[in-house]
Amino acid sequence: MLNLFRTEWLKIKNYPGFWWIMGITVLSYPGINGLFYFIYKDQTGNEKTAAKMLKMLIGNPFEFPEVFRTVAFTSSLFVVIPAILVIMLITNEYTYKTNRQNVIDGWSRNQFLIAKFLNVVIISMIVIALYIIVTLVIGFITSADAAGKWKNINSIGLYSLQVLAQLSFAFLLGLLIKRAFIALGAFIFYKVILENIAAGLMGKYANDAGRFLFTESSDRLTVLPAFIGKLNPDSYNKSLSLLNQQALITFGFIIVFWGLIFWIYKKRDL
Amino acid sequence: MSVLKVQDLKKTYGKIQALKGVSFAIPEGAVFGILGPNGSGKTTMLSIILDVLNADSGSYSWFGQPASPDLRKRIGSLLETPNFYHYLSGVNNLKITHSISGRGDAAGIDAVLQKVKLYERRNSRFSSYSLGMKQRLAIAAALLGDPQILVLDEPTNGLDPVGIMEIRELIIELSKKGHTIIMASHLLDEVEKVCTHVAILKLGTLVSSGSVEDVLMDEDVVEASAADLQQLKTVLSNIPGKTTITVTDLTVQVHFPKGTAKPDEVNRYCFDHGVTLQQLSIKKKRLEEKFFELTNN
Repeated sequence: MLNLFRTEWLKIKNYPGFWWIMGITVLSYPGINGLFYFIYKDQTGNEKTAAKMLKMLIGNPFEFPEVFRTVAFTSSLFVVIPAILVIMLITNEYTYKTNRQNVIDGWSRNQFLIAKFLNVVIISMIVIALYIIVTLVIGFITSADAAGKWKNINSIGLYSLQVLAQLSFAFLLGLLIKRAFIALGAFIFYKVILENIAAGLMGKYANDAGRFLFTESSDRLTVLPAFIGKLNPDSYNKSLSLLNQQALITFGFIIVFWGLIFWIYKKRDL
Repeated sequence: MSVLKVQDLKKTYGKIQALKGVSFAIPEGAVFGILGPNGSGKTTMLSIILDVLNADSGSYSWFGQPASPDLRKRIGSLLETPNFYHYLSGVNNLKITHSISGRGDAAGIDAVLQKVKLYERRNSRFSSYSLGMKQRLAIAAALLGDPQILVLDEPTNGLDPVGIMEIRELIIELSKKGHTIIMASHLLDEVEKVCTHVAILKLGTLVSSGSVEDVLMDEDVVEASAADLQQLKTVLSNIPGKTTITVTDLTVQVHFPKGTAKPDEVNRYCFDHGVTLQQLSIKKKRLEEKFFELTNN
C-alpha cells in the first residue's frame, strides 16, 4: 500500500497542472463560503429596519449549529472543481498510455486502481478538511452562545459521503470516457443539467424516485439551509427525515461505482 | 528450460482474428525475433504476454509458472511506443519505473541513462525529447536493474543509423551475458544479425518457428558454376537425390532435401561426367528471402 502511495506521489509531485487545480480547490471553498458570509453580514449587520427584518426572517445560517449545514450545502455546489482533479488523474494515464506501462512494469490491474482509489480518498479528505476548517472558523466567529453547538455535527459525515460518492462517479466517467474534456463535460452535463431535470420530473410524477439517481442521492445529504427550508417546511422536514436512507443509498452507490470500476478495468484491454 | 511458453493463444478484435492459436517456446538465453508483416499479430502477442491485453483463449507461462505481476517485475519491456508522463523529466519517469518494478536504484537510473546517452538531458521534460530520445528512454527503462529477460517491440523505432547500431551491439552484449531477449522487429537484416531464434507470424498464424538455422535451412541448396553452364545444368539434372534445379546468369543451383546435400559428391559426380567446376558452395538463404517466401509478400 505504501508503495502504491509513494508511486502516485512521484506522479503528481512535479505535475504543475495538478497543483494549479489543487490550489483553486483550496482557495475556492473558503472563498465562496466567506463570500456568502460577508454578503449575509453586509445585508443584516446594520441598524436599518429592512436589515433587522431580514435577520429575523432567516436567522443566522452561519451560527452554530446551522453553520454545519449551510457550509456543507454551499460547498456541495463546487464539487466540480475537485472532480476536475480526479478526472485528470485517470484520463492522463490513458492519454500518455502510462496505465498500461504501470501494468507492464509489474503492477496488477487491481493495484493500479487501488492507487487511484487512494488518490480519490486523499482528494476527498482534503475537501472534507477544508469544509471542517471553514465551518469551524465561520462558526466560531459568528456564534456567541455555545449551547447546542455540535448538534449538526453529523453533517461532516454526510458531506464526506457525498464528496466520496460524487468524486467516485467522476472517476468512473473518466475511466469509461478516457478523454479529460469529454469526461468533465459529461460529468457537468449529467450532474448539473440532466439529473436535475430528471429529479425534478420524478419529484412531480414518480413519487420522488429521483432521490435514487447516481448523484442526486448524495446531493440530498446536504440539505438546504434552514432559512430556505422555511419556504417549504414539509419538503424540508421530509428531506431531514430521509437523511439516513440517503446515506445508505449513497454508500451503496460508492460500492457499486468502485465495483464497476474494478470489473471494467479487469475485463478491458489496456 | 523455457523462459516463456505460449500455448494456443487466440485473440479477436470484433470480427478480426488477430491471433489464431499461436504456440511456441523461448529457450533461456535466446535472442528470439518475432517477425511478421503489419497486422500479423506481433504486438498483440507481446501485449498478451505482458498482461496488457486479455487473450480470448490459450495460456502462457513465464519461467514455468503462471503469469503474475511479480514475475513481470523481472522483465524489462518496451511495448509499441515509449509510454511516459510527459510533464516529468526522464529521471523522474525512471523513478516511477523503479518504484513499480523494484528494479534498479538511484545509481542504476544514472547508469542506464548514461548507457542510452540521455544522461545530459535527464532533467529535461519527456515532452521536450525527440522521437529518438523518447525511444532511448524507453530502452533505459527496460534495462533498469539489469533484468534477465527483455521484451523489446520494435526497439530501433525512431533511432538514427548510429542508434540502430548501438542497439544491435547492446543486444549482442546482453545476449553474451546470458540475458534472454524477445524482440519484434521489421528490420530483417537486424534480426538476422542478432537473433538466435525466430518466429514468423502471418495474419495471426505462426508460419515458422525455431532456431534461425532451422528456419532458414528448410532445404539444402548447392550452388555451382563451370565454364559451360548449359553442360553443367544438363549433368546436374540427372544427379540422384535432387528435388529441383534452377539456373541463374552465372550459376546452377541444385536443391536437395534438408541435410542430404554433399558437396564433395556433387563435385565428383560432375567430374565423372566431364565437367570441371569453377565454384561450389552450399547456399544459405537470407532471412529476408525466407520471410518473403513464408509471408508471400
